[in-house]
Amino acid sequence: MKKPNKLMLCLSIMALAGSVLAGCSNGNNTGGNNAPADNAGNNKAANAPANNAPAEEPATPDANTPVDGGELVVSSFSDIVSINPIFVGDTASGDIDYLVNARLLDLDRAGNVVAEEWSLAAELPQVSEDGLTYTIKLKPEAKWSDGQPLTADDIVYTFDTIRNPEAASLAISNFDKIESVTKVDAQTVTIKLKQVYSPFLYSLTTSIVPAHVLKDVPAKELAKHPFGSDPAKTVTSGPWNWTEWKNGQYLTMEANPNYWGPKPHIQKITYKIYADQNTEVQALIKGDVDMTSAIPLPLLDTVKANENINVILAPGPQYEYLGFNFKDDNFPGKVSPFKGMKTRQAIATALNRQGMVDNILKGTGTPLNAPFLPGSWSDPGDKATTYSYDVEKAKALLAEDGWVAGKDGILAKDGQRFSFELQYNAGNSRREQVAAVIQQNLADVGIEVKPKGIDFAAWIDQNVTPGKYEAILLSWSLSNPDPASNESIFSSKYFPPTGQNTGWYKNEKLDQLWIDGTLTADQSKRKEIYGEVGKEISTDLPYVFLYQYGLPEAQNKKIKYAEEDKPESTLGYGYFFHVNKWWVAP
Amino acid sequence: MTEYLIRRTLQSVLVLLLITIVTFLLIHAAPGGPKTIFLSPNLSPEVMEQQAENMGLNDPLPVQYFRWLGDLTQGDFGYTFKNNLPVGDLVWPTLGNTMILMGSAWFLALVIAIPWGIYNSTREYGFSDQLASFIAYIGFAMPTFWFGIILQELFALKWDLLPLSDMYSMGKEGDLGDLVLHLILPVTVLTLGFLAGYVKYSRSSMLEVLDQDYIRTARAKGLGERKVVFRHALRNALIPIITILGLDLPILVAGAALTESVFNWPGMGRLFLQMATQREYSVLMAITLIIAVFVIIGNLIADLLYAIVDPRVKLGRKGGAGA
Repeated sequence: MKKPNKLMLCLSIMALAGSVLAGCSNGNNTGGNNAPADNAGNNKAANAPANNAPAEEPATPDANTPVDGGELVVSSFSDIVSINPIFVGDTASGDIDYLVNARLLDLDRAGNVVAEEWSLAAELPQVSEDGLTYTIKLKPEAKWSDGQPLTADDIVYTFDTIRNPEAASLAISNFDKIESVTKVDAQTVTIKLKQVYSPFLYSLTTSIVPAHVLKDVPAKELAKHPFGSDPAKTVTSGPWNWTEWKNGQYLTMEANPNYWGPKPHIQKITYKIYADQNTEVQALIKGDVDMTSAIPLPLLDTVKANENINVILAPGPQYEYLGFNFKDDNFPGKVSPFKGMKTRQAIATALNRQGMVDNILKGTGTPLNAPFLPGSWSDPGDKATTYSYDVEKAKALLAEDGWVAGKDGILAKDGQRFSFELQYNAGNSRREQVAAVIQQNLADVGIEVKPKGIDFAAWIDQNVTPGKYEAILLSWSLSNPDPASNESIFSSKYFPPTGQNTGWYKNEKLDQLWIDGTLTADQSKRKEIYGEVGKEISTDLPYVFLYQYGLPEAQNKKIKYAEEDKPESTLGYGYFFHVNKWWVAP
Repeated sequence: MTEYLIRRTLQSVLVLLLITIVTFLLIHAAPGGPKTIFLSPNLSPEVMEQQAENMGLNDPLPVQYFRWLGDLTQGDFGYTFKNNLPVGDLVWPTLGNTMILMGSAWFLALVIAIPWGIYNSTREYGFSDQLASFIAYIGFAMPTFWFGIILQELFALKWDLLPLSDMYSMGKEGDLGDLVLHLILPVTVLTLGFLAGYVKYSRSSMLEVLDQDYIRTARAKGLGERKVVFRHALRNALIPIITILGLDLPILVAGAALTESVFNWPGMGRLFLQMATQREYSVLMAITLIIAVFVIIGNLIADLLYAIVDPRVKLGRKGGAGA
């Protein structure tokens, strides 16, 4: 059950590239781009049963009346790899997949799974009493861009392919709880699970691939099939068709004449690739580009000053953390200094997280206390233990845990100085600055921190994945709003080298709660369980959860939408939330 | 001459082969290969292995190398690992784009720099000479991408006279007028970079020649200054410049990755940067090979031109490489 908590891989890679491009981009790019993730990047708006769609034929040119036609130009820092939903693993490919494909189910603004007017499923799946069988009904009108009907065969093919290990789909962890997928009739599919697995509903917010195009391709050769990399051979199911890919330069999409759902207002979307973030932002200012999902912070004020541009500051679905290592072997004295809960709480108390948000993130973040998407149903809210910046309290906690100042002013216990190395990826200027603040804040309470930047790829390979470090500064994406995926980060079942619990954290109470969370079908009980998790994890602190963050998004003001269709930064691909209902002012 | 060419060509093939081996090994020695970059590191190792298997990355290095070399002998750069695109389709268009950009800048720089350098050599430390020095200092000292950003800020944003970036406006691919407009800013930036060196080289090389005895003799026998400079001095002064030009030839194809990135020019340097971050080995290998070919051709051309400009140089068993 490696679940899709995605390390900010792509983003950090961008950061690397950014740093190669010298000072101009600061390597500080993490932005509104969410980690690839499965397909949880989704959208859908609030509960509004969208039957009474907005007037489509505006009689008078009113600024609030949608206008059909027009072109939207979106900028990106990276090119796609493949938009075959089975293999989508990077943000750019995910963006295109999001625009050209309909999903079986969608997410609403609060991160709940819903059947939208533009979802392939006619309604939410019916789940059997025992929580093991899901029955999905498709919309009969759903069809592919080549005119073929989209049917139960496509669903069966997609799910069976993703869970076939030979296909090596990145989404396999979302579907490996499936026992069988069965076609009942042309529009109905039943899915049987091997065990109760309540986050499964989120796995259904996925795009579907066309069985009639791919069914004869051996699973091992799917990744090499032009479906997903050749626009002419990529049959899709969404509001726009993929029409062109000029490698490294741009992709274009045009309204799909065979689209079965509510017609989008925007006729053409161009996805333009920039190799330099400074240029990307200047293109936005000049008007070459209408929307950018990641404004580097040093350029924020310039963009804000432009009257034609709206800046969206809400943080994205990811958080940064200070991760402790609990494995003694990783320390010179063969003892991890982080073992005392009070010590960890003292560190959390000693850190000025609000200061980091205000000064380093320029306000584009929010301190958080538990690894749950703020505002979503699993957000523990008041149940979480909070830590406000208080040097004296931190010192008191450290003293209670047995730390005594040595001659050099650094705390010591049992002959071990409290000194550790804090690793992060070199070239990420945000982490560089945060590491410096941590160093300063902890020096104030008598802890010595040695920040160390390492090349990203080498770092992940040699330190993070095998769990060989003292402390790290890194991020997780929350683009899957279901909290169950956290199990693979915090449960002691997932130690390195195969698991993601790279800090060797063990808490038996949490181990059990994570299991309960996935095995419970009843949503209100789950909410209770994750509330308990939130309380326990924010008290015991396997990490210091620093802040939720994300680079600001910006849009030219000619992009229009009703209030309920505005972008939702906290969701994966949330910068395209309800893009099918947007329009471009002429 | 023919024998010389054949020998040099054979040598070149050997050198290229060595270059591909070294590059191949170096690229594979870098941490985090295509499989780790393709996937999220927390993905299950089994999926990762299967991916690598499907991409052909699990074969031993020599097997991978010879497969690549085998394709190459068929004139084929192979396919990208991640999405199975023909590498040639990615690389060749960018080569053309880079040559358009760099070629324009290089040509412009030469046309300006050589006459200017000659002129300055005849009026040492005059106003024009001082100005050239000043520009050379700026050209050397200023990071080109930074100069590019300044130009963008002024000409594209503030005064809105020229396009900000790219090679063509959207929907105008192939329009020559549009291309010229897009060339102005990046060519200005790159020309300044080339100019700085070339003015200095041609001036100093000219000065050196003008000091020689035979020039004095030429003047003494009553030749006009114009004839002295262009007929007697220039030909000799060009020799070192030719060396520099030959050595610079590969730059025309390697491109200026940073300038191309700042101006979002779809060239080979920009492609190399993009592919390096993705560890797309096959593309990196192809680009390295193309650049290596140009390095060798550049050197060869310089040697051949030597023989043409300088009758003292004989290309043969002994003369060749050194000179």
